Amino acid sequence: MITFKKVNKWFGPLHVLQDINLDIEKSEVAVICGPSGSGKSTLIRCINRLESIQSGELYVDGIPVHDKKTNLIDVRAEIGFVFQQFNLYPHMTVLENVTLAPVKVRKMKPEHAKQIGIELLEKVGIHEKADSYPAQLSGGQQQRVAIARGLAMQPKIMLFDEPTSALDPEMINEVLEVMIQLAKDGMTMIVVTHEMGFAREVGHKVIFMDEGQIVETAPPDDFFDHCKQERTRLFLSKILTH
Amino acid sequence: MWGIYLHNLLDSFPFFLKGLWVTIQISALSLFMSTVCGFFLGIIRSTRTRSINIVLAAYVDIIRGTPFLVQIFIVFFILPEWGIQLDAFTSAVLSLTIYGTAYICEIVSGGIQTIPRGQTEAAVSSGLTWPQQMRYVIVPQALRPILPPLVGQYVLMIKDTAVVSVIGLTDVTRVGWFTVQRIPEGILVFGLVGILYFLICYPLVWFSNRLETMLSTEKSGLG
Amino acid sequence: MLKTFNFRVIFEMMPQFLHGLGNTAWICLVALIGALLMGIISCVMRLSGKRLISFPAVAYIEMIRSTPLLAQLYFFYFGLPGLGIPLTETQTGIMALSLNSGAYTAEIIRAGIVSIPKGQLEAATASGLSLFQRLRYIILPQAIGVTIPALLGQMIVLVKDSALLALISVFELTRAGQLMASERFMPAEGFFTTAAFYLVIYFVLKFLSQQWQKRLIFQQDR
Repeated sequence: MITFKKVNKWFGPLHVLQDINLDIEKSEVAVICGPSGSGKSTLIRCINRLESIQSGELYVDGIPVHDKKTNLIDVRAEIGFVFQQFNLYPHMTVLENVTLAPVKVRKMKPEHAKQIGIELLEKVGIHEKADSYPAQLSGGQQQRVAIARGLAMQPKIMLFDEPTSALDPEMINEVLEVMIQLAKDGMTMIVVTHEMGFAREVGHKVIFMDEGQIVETAPPDDFFDHCKQERTRLFLSKILTH
Repeated sequence: MWGIYLHNLLDSFPFFLKGLWVTIQISALSLFMSTVCGFFLGIIRSTRTRSINIVLAAYVDIIRGTPFLVQIFIVFFILPEWGIQLDAFTSAVLSLTIYGTAYICEIVSGGIQTIPRGQTEAAVSSGLTWPQQMRYVIVPQALRPILPPLVGQYVLMIKDTAVVSVIGLTDVTRVGWFTVQRIPEGILVFGLVGILYFLICYPLVWFSNRLETMLSTEKSGLG
Repeated sequence: MLKTFNFRVIFEMMPQFLHGLGNTAWICLVALIGALLMGIISCVMRLSGKRLISFPAVAYIEMIRSTPLLAQLYFFYFGLPGLGIPLTETQTGIMALSLNSGAYTAEIIRAGIVSIPKGQLEAATASGLSLFQRLRYIILPQAIGVTIPALLGQMIVLVKDSALLALISVFELTRAGQLMASERFMPAEGFFTTAAFYLVIYFVLKFLSQQWQKRLIFQQDR
């Protein structure tokens, strides 16, 4: 579904992505972890061209994202993106946040979009807040709305950029539960996170990145219990002791 | 002496009202047109495209760096040399619009740039085109930082209409200028002129201050 | 059009323009000093707690801000002779500019003072400093650093406002252009040259303001 072939990216003199090769299959759940500055956020932001790559090839469902001639709207309509800072539109209600893209991009009828919107809000557990504004919601609630907003376009892929890092600890679980359910329903997901419990429960592969390179890729059990690289071991020892 | 002057002044009052009407007409037209053009250019300027920015920055600098009086003279006296004959009213509205558009462009562009990047990224990620992003996500939010300075700019422009009196337009200031030739009591005559401007401008100044406090409390509000 | 632009005449008239420029320069400097004075006095009056003192200051500021400079200029130009006060056109012009800019300067200074964290004022009061001492040692030094760019901006406005003095026959930069237009029938050469001079002043002041702001940031990073 998603293929990186020898992808390289620089931010000025900084080589943030070095020769990335990666394949994600349909319905696969991939978790990317690594120290900050490792390039993991940059990597998933390249998938929907929030960031562009300087060399290599990147395919999403067969479409070449790196090609300047590709119609990005088609690509982005099939990808839902959940941000660390939620980025909900503050001037719109929760329901309006969710229905904006389906109506304007997929040209759905407003009533139909509302229907789907409410179903999705029920799915993430906040349909009673449909007419509230984001500022009236807690962080965990806002992030769940953000997930519903991503799902509203009925995408093939969901990308998560550290979805729980900006949340107070007591709200992390409500968001993870929604994500776990999504994974069980068969959604193709790439999640940048430090929440290793999530990786163990529904992850199909765990990818460790450091300094712009993919250091190690393995299924969760192999990754956590029998990792091969020294750098991986070092990283795991740091984050798993708390 | 003052009694006679006051009496004459009251006799001239209808002329002042006519002048006030001209002032209002010029203000309304140029405010409207410069808002439309200013928003359009401001949205474009916020894209930070290099080539467009150089041109727009030059335009804004020229307008901001020269007196409005000189700009009016240029429009009124030089355009005829290039074959464009405009009457005083049109020249006035044109120069005021060119002037106002430059400032409003900066206000709008500045307001848009205060919107966090994450909003644009969220809109982009869900597949919205650039015009859709602007229309549904960015500009509605940008109105909050734009509105108070915009109203302030309106007040400045209404006051600047006084300068158009130099090209012969009979606005409130020019009526005062004529009147003072007959009634040589500058204090009375221009006191009245001042009061008339004050009546239009002060409510707007008050409104602009009110907007500023209203909008800043809302920001720190709920949550 | 530039081909027909008569550069030779501009060169001929250059002494006139420079004379006008010189007048504009010193008129603006004097008016700036006047504006600073008016601004500081009315700002302090406004910030004093007593209604009797603050009200005239507020009234002055609001009246100036809600009426056009040209109307204020004409007010003094036509009004002062009636009161028996014989000022020259230039003096009248400088007075009107000072009063006008003074109101805006007062607001700029007020914004600068208000930006000082309240805690400092409380500490100063608690340690027994009088109002005058607080002003002199704590408030004004800090307010000035923040205020200078805004004041430079006000200087730019003042330079542009001074153009209106041409309308009461003061020989400054705009009038030089006007005369070239009316006496030599060359409005393009006249007014474009005038505009060019103003732009030079504008960019110089803008540059100075940016340099000061850089210096401020450098200082704060210590």
